[in-house]
Amino acid sequence: MFLEGLREAIELLLSFDRELYGIIGLSLFISLLATLTAGALGVLSGILISVTNFRGKRLLKKLIFTFMGIPPVVLGLVVLLVLAGPLSNMNLLFTRTAMYTAQTLLVYPIITGSIIITSEKTQQKVLETATTLGASRNNKLMLLIAETKPFILLSIILGFSRAISEVGAVMLVGGNIRGETRVMTTFIALNTSMGNYGASIAMGLILLVIAFLIHTTIARFRSDFYD
Amino acid sequence: MIEFKELQVTYPEFTLSFEDDAFPKNKVTFVTGRNGVGKTSFLKAIGKLLPYRGNIRYEGFATYHFQEPILFNRTVRENALYPIKIRKLDCADFEDKLKRYASILHIDHLLDRQAKELSSGEKMKASLLRSILFAPEIVLLDEPTTHLDLESIDQLTMLIKTLKPTTTFVIVSHNRAFIEALSDHVYHIGGKYVHR
Repeated sequence: MFLEGLREAIELLLSFDRELYGIIGLSLFISLLATLTAGALGVLSGILISVTNFRGKRLLKKLIFTFMGIPPVVLGLVVLLVLAGPLSNMNLLFTRTAMYTAQTLLVYPIITGSIIITSEKTQQKVLETATTLGASRNNKLMLLIAETKPFILLSIILGFSRAISEVGAVMLVGGNIRGETRVMTTFIALNTSMGNYGASIAMGLILLVIAFLIHTTIARFRSDFYD
Repeated sequence: MIEFKELQVTYPEFTLSFEDDAFPKNKVTFVTGRNGVGKTSFLKAIGKLLPYRGNIRYEGFATYHFQEPILFNRTVRENALYPIKIRKLDCADFEDKLKRYASILHIDHLLDRQAKELSSGEKMKASLLRSILFAPEIVLLDEPTTHLDLESIDQLTMLIKTLKPTTTFVIVSHNRAFIEALSDHVYHIGGKYVHR
């Protein structure tokens, strides 16, 4: 069955099916946009949280670390309840905006949490050293960004990896509508349940290629950092 | 001159008390004492890196040099020029001094090398170079001979002698030969703890 599915998958990929490539494009677009939004917010807030002392900092960090591991389907449920409840007049449920929102909320704590951990643990001495050399608060912030650069890129890539491979949240808030909110993961889930293994394998292969590219990039940054 | 009175550093479990003294300007003062008596805490308090009680008075900027220094992820030259850049001074004005001090420490051939590629002794020297290049009035060195071989300790001694006319040094060290070669004044910490 697998070999037959694989043959079907190759045929489908080579046919340059418009729907198939539309789904791939939409997946990449939404995941990228969500990662960039979460990345910009996460890097900034992660560094600010790590260099600033304020009341409730420990609790906030605990919350962020907890949300780093939130099951996507739970987050999807929360977003669905909010969009179907208090924000129902905005008609966002089962739209691409809803999927983008869910993915951004999913990725944000991953990026923020990673930045906090690396900034606090690894960069503590960097900040102390900068203080001994007379660095101002702004100097230290710029230095911390420069010193954490490999970690920033790494956490953003990890965030994208989480977004592109996620299925539960986008299924709940996007509704897996053909031509509208269907992405690679929900496509695989639907076709597998219908017994269309060839289509599922084709999409799975593409996801694997993307995962391979992501992890090759991560490996490069990791070796850069640990040199 | 560095003057301090009724200086205390408080930790959750205990308070360290330091005898009043005044360290002479543009001289080398060594801080001695057993392990754990609070030499590093004393030096950090002088550098205003730790909260303290009492009075500390001096003029100018005091830089504290860590026992295990951290170099930034850039070249040795860029590390050394970092304090110059953040003070918005012209780096070109410091190029001669940079080469001279690097040559005394025998790291002039490493200036364009990435800091992460250096050995621990070379890192120590590069970090010392960064701490003195911007000409701070006071330099607080916490066990600077750690990671240095005998030849490198002689180079550091030479560098401190070169800078002494314009710089006040306060150094924590256990190295007797290093102390004898440079010492103008010794401040001994006996370990006056006030337990809570």
